[in-house]
Amino acid sequence: MLAPAAFTTVWVVDFEFGGEPGGHPIPRCLVAKELRSGRELRVWESELLQMRHPPYGIGPDDLMVAFFASAELGCHLALGWPMPAHLLDVYVEFSALTNGRARPCGRGLLGALAYFDLPTMLAEEKEHWRTLALRGGPWTDEERAGLLDYCATDSQALELLLPKMAPMIDWPRALIRGCYMAAVARMERAGVPIDVELLTELRAGWEAIKHTLVARIDATYGVYEDGQTFKVSRFARWLQEHEIPWPRLPSGMLCLDSDTFHQMARCYPAVASLAELRHALSQLRLHELAVGADGRNRCLLSPFRARTGRNQPSSSQYIFGPSVWLRGLIRPSPGRALAYVDWSQQEFGIAAALSGDTTMQAAYSSGDPYLAFARQAGAVPIEATKLTHEATRERYKQCSLAVQYGMGAESLGERIDQPTAEARALLRTHRAVYRRFWAWSDAVLDYAHLHGRLFTAFGWPLFVGADARAPALRNYPMQGNGAELLRLACILATERGVEVVAPVHDALLIEADAKAIDDAVALTQAAMLEASRAVLSGFELRSEAKIVRYPDRYADPRGAVMWATVREALNELAREGTCDDTAQVPVTVPPTTCDDTAHPSLSSSISLVSLSSCSPDKRDPSFHISGELWS
Amino acid sequence: MTRHMEPTPTVTSNGHGASALPGLNLDDFRLPQNFTELVGVRRMLTRVPVRRPDRQWFVRTHPEPAFHFTTAIIEVKEDREHYLVRPQAMEACMNELQPTILHATMSRAGVLFLWPTRLPNRDGKDNLWYASAREAAVFAERHWASVRASTDLGGYEVFQAIADIPDPEWPNITMPELLALAFKDKIIDAIDHPVLLRLQGAV
Repeated sequence: MLAPAAFTTVWVVDFEFGGEPGGHPIPRCLVAKELRSGRELRVWESELLQMRHPPYGIGPDDLMVAFFASAELGCHLALGWPMPAHLLDVYVEFSALTNGRARPCGRGLLGALAYFDLPTMLAEEKEHWRTLALRGGPWTDEERAGLLDYCATDSQALELLLPKMAPMIDWPRALIRGCYMAAVARMERAGVPIDVELLTELRAGWEAIKHTLVARIDATYGVYEDGQTFKVSRFARWLQEHEIPWPRLPSGMLCLDSDTFHQMARCYPAVASLAELRHALSQLRLHELAVGADGRNRCLLSPFRARTGRNQPSSSQYIFGPSVWLRGLIRPSPGRALAYVDWSQQEFGIAAALSGDTTMQAAYSSGDPYLAFARQAGAVPIEATKLTHEATRERYKQCSLAVQYGMGAESLGERIDQPTAEARALLRTHRAVYRRFWAWSDAVLDYAHLHGRLFTAFGWPLFVGADARAPALRNYPMQGNGAELLRLACILATERGVEVVAPVHDALLIEADAKAIDDAVALTQAAMLEASRAVLSGFELRSEAKIVRYPDRYADPRGAVMWATVREALNELAREGTCDDTAQVPVTVPPTTCDDTAHPSLSSSISLVSLSSCSPDKRDPSFHISGELWS
Repeated sequence: MTRHMEPTPTVTSNGHGASALPGLNLDDFRLPQNFTELVGVRRMLTRVPVRRPDRQWFVRTHPEPAFHFTTAIIEVKEDREHYLVRPQAMEACMNELQPTILHATMSRAGVLFLWPTRLPNRDGKDNLWYASAREAAVFAERHWASVRASTDLGGYEVFQAIADIPDPEWPNITMPELLALAFKDKIIDAIDHPVLLRLQGAV
């Protein structure tokens, strides 16, 4: 079973749909074709709304084929239709077949057709029909016919692609990936609850807030001149005063890119607020955060977009983008609760499990792998604890992370603020203590170069090109299998009725009624444990859950200072009355109650609201900056 | 690839159909990740140093008697090289010969080497340096140990690793093969061997 010949029917399916950013998809029309019989169905939106079930087979003997199927399955959910038992996503499989290879025309449908030398329509023509579908009705007869014909060309494209790709597809595992696209559709539909009122205030006052932010945060650093210009010389002086070694360019200048700030903020918390400030000033585009009419953040999760197979949603549209402080906007509505359930030291655990290094596995199982590493190396006594040997533990932690990221002795030395020789000794210790892991890691590298590819436990491949770097190849099993873990957990949790609202690297954000959140967490953790056993041949990764009940809000400790500063600045603005009460910006307004089963056409109810909501008395007390709500 | 349950779509509490995944035994679909076995590459042992352990290393000596080889060698201190001497050449270098035990030894970093420890001289003369080194090699058969010269003591001090470190993984190789790798171009087999001539001041 689980091979194409085993299915009674094979349906290629394509929907055209519209919808606002952050909203639900609104199906416009559907074309489905059964490839064995040649039977084609063309269904317009008015008929779709009457159907309780898809007009094509979705049972155990049927195979549904689509391109970027989370969109098609989003239409299923919008129409109240069940999910298919078996799905093949041609987008995902094309991404798999070409992962690490050049895709001259991209990985969209036209790119896939071009890759296999198949006829394609012009990109401009495709764009024209997509725009029309997004526009919505009323439609002329010509537009209806044209849109249905365009929809049919997409299903015909799948009909052409499938025979070309079928012999190369790893079928059983491709169908498991198809299950994930159903989970993605569910997660995209759920969306993350956002405090829209506060977001509205932020958007309106952002320009004024930025000045306050510089003044407030720079008071600690003193690196801005005239409250707006970042002065490198002042920053260099601040680094010197705080004895923070900072990466430099070959020219000797300080590296000032956002990645460097992001990385350095991880090992030097003192840098974190400045990193957040710089990002907020230069890159944050609040208006792009995609929040729908029901006050929920939704965007394409872009599954399988990264080479490791991880999701790669838009950093500006997704609330879990790089601005961690902004996550303070995540807040459950009254009576609801959120839980952030993440795997503990996921990558360390994966490395221990897959390499079969029993010493490393013992370190993971101890609950504190970094302290266990220090113990195994003989650097701390058996009775050492995190409190008694914090500094040594931190060094061994950074060493473990450095190995994961393929960092050399010099970089590790900078990270732990120790001479390179000390870092080199630490790395040697890692090799000595975890010899089996290193033999396995060397074998991963050898395999990649010898066979030209690597693959995860459930078959996500990476083809090794000329640009492949050794650290990335060594790290691929951890990252790729981490992605497999997340996918399986999302499938299992969503299919068991858990409302997963966001996948976040090695964590699931779930939502439930406040009274039911503990049960939902238990279901989620069970799904994560099951996923871990499946991917890691029985090895169990631990997980932890942090629950946020209304009126509390989600918080990321890395953004705590920035969030508190922004909140203070907002309060001041409100007190000073500097919010422009006459200004009106288009924002989305949450309905009185959140109704996910509501018809998708509700998402067109976009309103304009006055910014008079800046009035401080409209804020709830949990906003005040005491910090006790921060985890 | 067997399916352990029929993939009948189930209906979850939110009213949406579920995929066939819950009916599958995922173990049937997992691909191996044991790249050490999959890779088809074997590490070849091509070089075996003859040396004393670095004072910063922790080492283990092979516990099997077959991996302790008693012989007589010549150490050319200037070059930091050790030579095996064939019987036909021994007479010519009797004064240079050092009765020695060669211990197959592995460092914590996985470096396999032969550790020469001196036996008493032909005249039975022993000293604390020789004796303490031999004792250290025996100690290292059972424990990870760091061996450090101490001038105050006039011999070697042994430091035992107290951490719970697993035993070394000895490669599948015999002592004769180790000796062949260690001394492949360092065997004195004739009285006109250049090393002998140099030691005798004939070159």
